[in-house]
Amino acid sequence: MSENLSALSGRKGLEKNLFEQLVEKSKVEGTPDNEDLKSLAHEYLMGEAITYGTASFYDFLKKDHRHVKAHVCNGSACLVAGTQENVKTKLLEHYRDEEIGHMCCLGRCHENSAFNINGNNYSGNAIEQLDKITSSHIASLTDNYKVSSNVENPILTGERLTAAGFASLFQKVLTNGADWALEQIKDSNIRGRGGAGFPMGIKLESCKNVSGDQKFIVCNADEGDPGAYSDRYLLEAQPMLVLFGMMVSGYIVGADKGALYIRGEYPESVRAVTKAVEELSEHGMQGKKIGGSDFNFDFKVIEGAGAYICGEETALLSSLEGQRPEVRVRPPYPTQRGLFNRPTVVNNVETQAAIAWIVKNGGKKYARFGTSKSSGTKLVCLDSFFMNPGIYEIEMGTPFKEVVHDFGGGFKENVKAVHVGGPLGGIVPTHKIEILSLDFESFANEGFLLGHAGVVSIPEKFPMIRYLEHLFEFTGAESCGKCFPCSIGSVRGKEMFEKARNGETRIDRQLLDDLLEAMEDGSLCALGGGLPLGVKNALQYFDDELRTYFK
Amino acid sequence: MSTTKNTVFINNEEHAFEQGEMILRLLRRVLGDDPVPTLCDAPNLEPFGSCRVCSVEVALKQDGPKKVQASCHTPVMANSYIYTHSEKINRIRKNIVELVLTDYPKEKFEEANPSQNELKKVAAQVGINMSDVRYQPGKKNLNRTPDENHAYMRASMDTCINCYRCIRACDEVQGEMVLTMEGRGFDNKVVMGMNEGFKESDCVSCGACSQACPTGAITDIYASKFNDATKTERTVCTYCGVGCNLDVATKDGDIISITAPYDSEVNQGHTCLKGRYAFQFYNHPDRLKTPMIRRDGTLQPATWDEAYDYMTEKFTQIREANGPDAIAGISSARCPNEENYLMQKFIRAVIGTNNIDCCARVCHSPTALGLQRAFGTGAATNSVKDIQYTDCMMVIGANPTDAHPVTGAKMKQAAMKGTKLIVIDPREIALARYADYHLQLRPGTNVALLNMMMYYIISEGLVDKDFVDNRTEGYEDFVSNITNLDLDKMEEVTGVDRNLVREAAICYATAPNAMSFHGLGVTEHSQGTFTVMQIADLAMLTGNIGRRGVGVNPLRGQNNVQGAADMGAQPHQGAGYMDVTNPTFHKQYETFYGVDLPEHIGYKIPEMFDAAIAGDLKALWIIGEDVVQTDPNTDKVKRALTSLDMLIVQELFMTETALLADVILPGASFLEKSGTFTNGERRVQRVNKVLEPIEGTKADGQIIVDMMNRMGYKQADYAPDTMLEEISQIVPFFKGITWEGLGKNGKQWPVPEDGSSTEIMHVDQFKRGKGKISYFDWKESKEIEDNGSEYPYIITTNRELEHYNCGAMTRRTNNVQILTEDVLLINPKDAKDIKVKDGEMVCVTSARGKVDIKAKVSNEVKPGVMSTTFHFPEIMVNLITSDVHDSEAKCPEYKVVAAKVRKSKGKYAEKSEEQLAKA
Ligand SMILES: Cc1cc2nc3c(=O)[nH]c(=O)nc-3n(C[C@H](O)[C@H](O)[C@H](O)COP(=O)(O)O)c2cc1C
Ligand code: SF4
Ligand code: SF4
Ligand code: SF4
Ligand code: FES
Repeated sequence: MSENLSALSGRKGLEKNLFEQLVEKSKVEGTPDNEDLKSLAHEYLMGEAITYGTASFYDFLKKDHRHVKAHVCNGSACLVAGTQENVKTKLLEHYRDEEIGHMCCLGRCHENSAFNINGNNYSGNAIEQLDKITSSHIASLTDNYKVSSNVENPILTGERLTAAGFASLFQKVLTNGADWALEQIKDSNIRGRGGAGFPMGIKLESCKNVSGDQKFIVCNADEGDPGAYSDRYLLEAQPMLVLFGMMVSGYIVGADKGALYIRGEYPESVRAVTKAVEELSEHGMQGKKIGGSDFNFDFKVIEGAGAYICGEETALLSSLEGQRPEVRVRPPYPTQRGLFNRPTVVNNVETQAAIAWIVKNGGKKYARFGTSKSSGTKLVCLDSFFMNPGIYEIEMGTPFKEVVHDFGGGFKENVKAVHVGGPLGGIVPTHKIEILSLDFESFANEGFLLGHAGVVSIPEKFPMIRYLEHLFEFTGAESCGKCFPCSIGSVRGKEMFEKARNGETRIDRQLLDDLLEAMEDGSLCALGGGLPLGVKNALQYFDDELRTYFK
Repeated sequence: MSTTKNTVFINNEEHAFEQGEMILRLLRRVLGDDPVPTLCDAPNLEPFGSCRVCSVEVALKQDGPKKVQASCHTPVMANSYIYTHSEKINRIRKNIVELVLTDYPKEKFEEANPSQNELKKVAAQVGINMSDVRYQPGKKNLNRTPDENHAYMRASMDTCINCYRCIRACDEVQGEMVLTMEGRGFDNKVVMGMNEGFKESDCVSCGACSQACPTGAITDIYASKFNDATKTERTVCTYCGVGCNLDVATKDGDIISITAPYDSEVNQGHTCLKGRYAFQFYNHPDRLKTPMIRRDGTLQPATWDEAYDYMTEKFTQIREANGPDAIAGISSARCPNEENYLMQKFIRAVIGTNNIDCCARVCHSPTALGLQRAFGTGAATNSVKDIQYTDCMMVIGANPTDAHPVTGAKMKQAAMKGTKLIVIDPREIALARYADYHLQLRPGTNVALLNMMMYYIISEGLVDKDFVDNRTEGYEDFVSNITNLDLDKMEEVTGVDRNLVREAAICYATAPNAMSFHGLGVTEHSQGTFTVMQIADLAMLTGNIGRRGVGVNPLRGQNNVQGAADMGAQPHQGAGYMDVTNPTFHKQYETFYGVDLPEHIGYKIPEMFDAAIAGDLKALWIIGEDVVQTDPNTDKVKRALTSLDMLIVQELFMTETALLADVILPGASFLEKSGTFTNGERRVQRVNKVLEPIEGTKADGQIIVDMMNRMGYKQADYAPDTMLEEISQIVPFFKGITWEGLGKNGKQWPVPEDGSSTEIMHVDQFKRGKGKISYFDWKESKEIEDNGSEYPYIITTNRELEHYNCGAMTRRTNNVQILTEDVLLINPKDAKDIKVKDGEMVCVTSARGKVDIKAKVSNEVKPGVMSTTFHFPEIMVNLITSDVHDSEAKCPEYKVVAAKVRKSKGKYAEKSEEQLAKA
């Protein structure tokens, strides 16, 4: 978090983006070479240490990534599905060990066996066609998942918005004005879908009220939670909805630039959104004088480089600036001082995607969906343990069991718990499914978290101790490393569970409780702060299974 | 209980807070130092929030639900309840520190001193010891190899706790960005550069990281914060005019390290490598430790009495035979005010001549004169602090990041964050990279360029009419001249595109607050004084005078060059700048000193040399200045000095000038005496004696006092408080200054009787009444006119960060390991033309002489222009510089030398081969 680096990076801004260039330079060898890092540092007036330090942070930029050609998914869903070993074995027939790296969740949690080769994602039984993939370079074997909704006129999963539809709907916004648009969003009561659930209207309004000649809209498309692929769905199937929300946000707060930060693990999403932006340009809906008005708006698509923490909004901003994506303190809030030190609104893909419906049908109408505190609908992702894996648009307040049974069709095999809301979410034992409803409050009241609503099923046969070890390991690997409780605590926790699992040392419960408390209350952000929730759920509900590992 | 807007409860006690204040700051204000433990927080860094041990519990209402929040970066909420030591908080802190200890070397922890090692201190505060750690020890930093290759910086990262303080200090304080974390999460580790060592990295050795580090993982060769010093004394740096405060730590009468006080208003815990590390000269074996007298052609040790007797006899003899004007003195801008005051008093009141000058002559005399003519006072109008408030900085003829590093760092910080920056300099100085406009003019064309700027300010209608009408005179004349400016010609001679000049002019004129800084690139020219007046014109035309963030701000070179002039070390004005030829002032001085004084002005330094050669000047007493190495046209200077009957040199080391002396007096360094220095922003600060003068030497002030008494003038022994008392009675702007009253951070003059300090001058009125706007035609330097066709290249001189002027001090420190020689910067195109490669020796000839010097091929200079330094006596660059002077103040034109350059032959060519082979 360096004000200087933000400003220096801001001199070239989004157009010639430092981070984008670092990613660009890594494409040939798998990592930018030192000469590239030096010349970029000089060009951006930064120390050589800066570009070097930045590159070393990312899985796909760091030195170890040199010559890596294939990546195996090591996310939670593929882990519990037990598909990783087979994928790796098959890949080894084509690649040397050092040419095979990892990617954490490719958004193929509904099929598993996920891997990436040459910038393309594969899953399901694609691994069995590896010969074809490596020889003839068949671009991508598409995956399949169900999409449906329990509302009649779906907000997110309805008909695909076209560029022409975008243009005419935005004309409505232009006609009614920015204040009207903000009013609709406030009326809708929509809360952020990225995990924290912050009301979007308030965020837009506060950014609008900050003075500044340059502001930014950032779309958080870094969907890092293993088990979640709803943002991916929107980016690929409904990109216009996402872009529309961003443009309306820009119109409201007075921003003329929007950046989409799309994780590098979603190459198809990057392509789909890039294409959609091109279409908009063709329709005069990008650049200067949008729809003949005085409003200008440019989109910039930025591809991530493998770091879960970049989903955290302040880390994301630093990433966009080419800094190390370490979580920043707040204040200043991004709406006051965000990207390149300018007022910035960061919203999740799904939050942005709902705006089109809201301005079309009215905010009040949106607010009629769901509960008083959790309005609207939420996309839920079900993994491959369900009979019907897929994306379901569910009205908030719907009983969770309806989602699991009616939409998901129940489980294929015995599942003891579902981990909802990503690695920082709660571990819900199956019997609790019955009493939860799909909204922020119900999950919170029961000691869980709705979060982004990805669902990873933990099968009966998968040891809980192993799962918890995985959570600590994940946090240790993905921690930005800034704050002490998270960066040190996650690793010490992982060691604790590893030693317990392989029978070396049993866990000291007092020590674990102390660790969880230090992380939960002491961490700077919700990565270190969020991990203890699931662990505590497991300790509470799976005491029988776990007891033998404790002193 | 009252619940007004700014009420907060700390451990259930009611307190008031300031809007926007962070909890930690409030706690420190209310509860005193260390209200809660902290590890990543540091006084001069932004809140960062990594260690989390500063956490407190906060409830929004009494008995409401509490939340744990890091106090360093959480703003205080009105009516909230803050608990600093609840059971839960105590536990969390302890558990966090326990985690840190899992990755810390056990033995080093046990050995550490809790008053130095902050981790150990915090561990004690939260009540945990190594033996209480319940986790298995981890590995991360534990097995890293120490970095011991740098001249000053040291790293042994096994004790690094990843608090990021060093990285932030390098970025937020110095702005160098040499340090970073490498890797991610737990595997993060601090590295220098691209995981090199300090030595290979771009480190500028400012020591900010070393001062920031809580555990000494990064430190320096002195282990500055971790040694066993027994005493610390605060004083002021002796090198440049920034005037940084230093905390000098000693043990058994030896200096063992220097750090920077955070509460210093000048430098806020920062320094450059000269102030922090380059103190080893003070007890260097080369120090002069006994007076010497030249007998039979050689300098031989003598007692003080012998030296004094010799001097007294000679002075008396010469005065009787040739009159007092055959004697002159050069005082030292490196010495305190009190000593400068005494020296000019000696020359004026005891000898009876106004032949007194100081090294300001060769640097900022045009500034003093030019600003006196324009404003009435020859000093900076504003303070360095104003950098925070200004919207536009114009840096002309100065390279602050090398020559005034702490101020330079502040400018760089501001420029990086977006304050507009205009750089006017022939070289691409470090700041130019960050500038919005770099006007890279040909040396010697400042007047032309500034005229272009002012032309555009007028033609674009950007004049602040109100200011000009109410507060200035001379505008009409000025306008009639400037509107006739021959832009084509000016564009041609400066070599700067007129549109760029126009844009820069608009930038300066339209900024709500614009401030200028200038250095020797302005003054060391034949039109130096005029250029200073033009800079003043710019400020007046645009109304940039008299408030925060504006003004004309010379970056004074030597630590006390401001003070030396203030004290009267110049031939035409006495202490306090009163004209010695003005009958009223003359009388005032006579009454004050109690003697008859001469009524005519004396020689300026160059005139002293001319007079010596002509046989009119017989004796010269030079304090602390190596005129042979640093004054231009070395041969002529030597000729002058050897023509004298008596040359007295008062020095620390056997300099090139001292070698020619008849009498040598071993003076004391700034560490060995008390007094005051006045920095470039008119801040008079206390220099406190750290050590007794080393054996055989004397405080320079005492030497002068001894001689005053010998020569029959009663003057009490040297002491800073009584001297200041005397000075305050004659120097008007020192009226309210007392030794005690100066306190830690000094005062900015004028200090009226009530003792108040002046940060900004000319607020409502100029010292001289109306400000004077003047027009000057650009005139080609005589050097170019006379020699330009035969000597086609222009050489300009500059300074490097690591060395100070003649290098007598810095060359006797580890700074030589970092920068070992003078080099000549040559543009690649010129290098190609004269067929030299980087690192080869070139022979440079001017109309005066020739030197051989190593070439450094660089884009810092434009084709046709070359640049070098004169820190090393091996090269003696001043053999080639000219003795053309500023027409008004007689400051030499160091910045323009017409030269021929070719590849070296003979022994230097061999040196070339050797060096290339090495590379
Ligand atoms: C560790 C961590 C990871 C996060 N990852 C994501 C993410 O992948 N996508 C996302 O939209 N928000 C993520 N967030 C939340 C963002 O910080 C932020 O709250 C969100 O982008 C705001 O948008 P919203 O209000 O529309 O939800 C994450 C937060 C944390 C602490
Ligand atoms: S909790 Fe973890 S990820 Fe978040 S700031 Fe701390 S170290 Fe970084
Ligand atoms: S070297 Fe020192 S200052 Fe830097 S991170 Fe480590 S402990 Fe902190
Ligand atoms: S900036 Fe100047 S005063 Fe400060 S430490 Fe460096 S040389 Fe000394
Ligand atoms: S001092 Fe607040 S987190 Fe370190």
